[in-house]
Amino acid sequence: MASSTAAVPFWRAAGMTYITYSNICANLVRNCLKEPHKTEALTREKVHFSLSKWADGKPQKPTLRSDTPED
Amino acid sequence: MAMAALRREGRRFVPLISPQPISAVQSSLISQEQAPLGVRSISTQIVRNRMKSVKNIQKITKAMKMVAASKLRAIQIKAENSRGIWQPFTALLGDNPSVDVKKNVIITVSSDKGLCGGINSTSVKMSKALHKLTSGPEKQSTYVILGEKAKAQLIRDSKNNIELCITELQRNPLNYTQVSVLADDILKNVEYDALRIVFNKFHSVVSFPPTVATVLSPETVERESESGGNLGELDSYEIEGGETKGEILQNLAEFQFSCVMFNAVLENACSEQGARMSAMDSSSRNAGEMLDRLTLTYNRTRQASITTELIEIISGASALKG
Repeated sequence: MASSTAAVPFWRAAGMTYITYSNICANLVRNCLKEPHKTEALTREKVHFSLSKWADGKPQKPTLRSDTPED
Repeated sequence: MAMAALRREGRRFVPLISPQPISAVQSSLISQEQAPLGVRSISTQIVRNRMKSVKNIQKITKAMKMVAASKLRAIQIKAENSRGIWQPFTALLGDNPSVDVKKNVIITVSSDKGLCGGINSTSVKMSKALHKLTSGPEKQSTYVILGEKAKAQLIRDSKNNIELCITELQRNPLNYTQVSVLADDILKNVEYDALRIVFNKFHSVVSFPPTVATVLSPETVERESESGGNLGELDSYEIEGGETKGEILQNLAEFQFSCVMFNAVLENACSEQGARMSAMDSSSRNAGEMLDRLTLTYNRTRQASITTELIEIISGASALKG
């Protein structure tokens, strides 16, 4: 508990939000699983979406957040 | 060849519409001169084609209903399980839909695909109402849109207020990592005092009322808790470790947002499948009714032409006899 509370300012300073931080932690835990649960857990958590910012009522070029390669 | 067939068809229906007595010569003339192609008779060919296409559409809608039903079952379990992760937050921080702040961000959750009844328009309507409610002088209210369908509807009249658009969310099965990365991106790209998430909460296959979940920024939470009100109880909690209340609240607000988003996205996906199921059910029923009506018309027309032919033969025979 003490170490995690001490770590707070550091990941904040690195520009991370709590969500990023907790995701990294969750991924570490998932990597600690034994097979076959490990692959199952890792394949379940796939990220894919496309995000486009808008400026002056017009969409800008969408950026794709995905960890599966385009097929 | 086609012309001959047409003439035959035409002759068959002549007694129905032409009052004058017919002879073989006249009928072949009539079919060419008086009536344009295909007008003199209700072509059974067209009805047959129509029946075939209606039957095919019915098959498709039935299949879509099946698919939606099986997807619904899987996603409903997920959605119901995900309710457990935002409820503690609501118990702790409360849900403050009435909070009055400067920077409002309305997050409209919708689907990428259509053919699912009115769920997207209800959430868009709800967002627009919220926008009206929260915007005003010195206040700012912007949209973050999830899904293709709400985007198409909101582009029309409020494209100047759109800040972010997120699509292709449901390429893979929904999971927490994905939604949290998305929530993170939203947090990084917008400035907010209050995030208002509009989604369709899944109650049953036929009932999914549009719902608003409110996530306050840490500063707002602090201000609210100091001024008493619903959040006043927050001070009675003891904070462990060396963190300040502000830090804790920031972490909490971020985590709360990603959890609420996760639930909202799942509930909306669940409502989408439910709505699609009932929409497809009613459209296959409509197709069935249409098919029945068409079959009736088709058979009646066919019967009429057969009867006419019989009358022709009999009267011709009796004329020869007489």
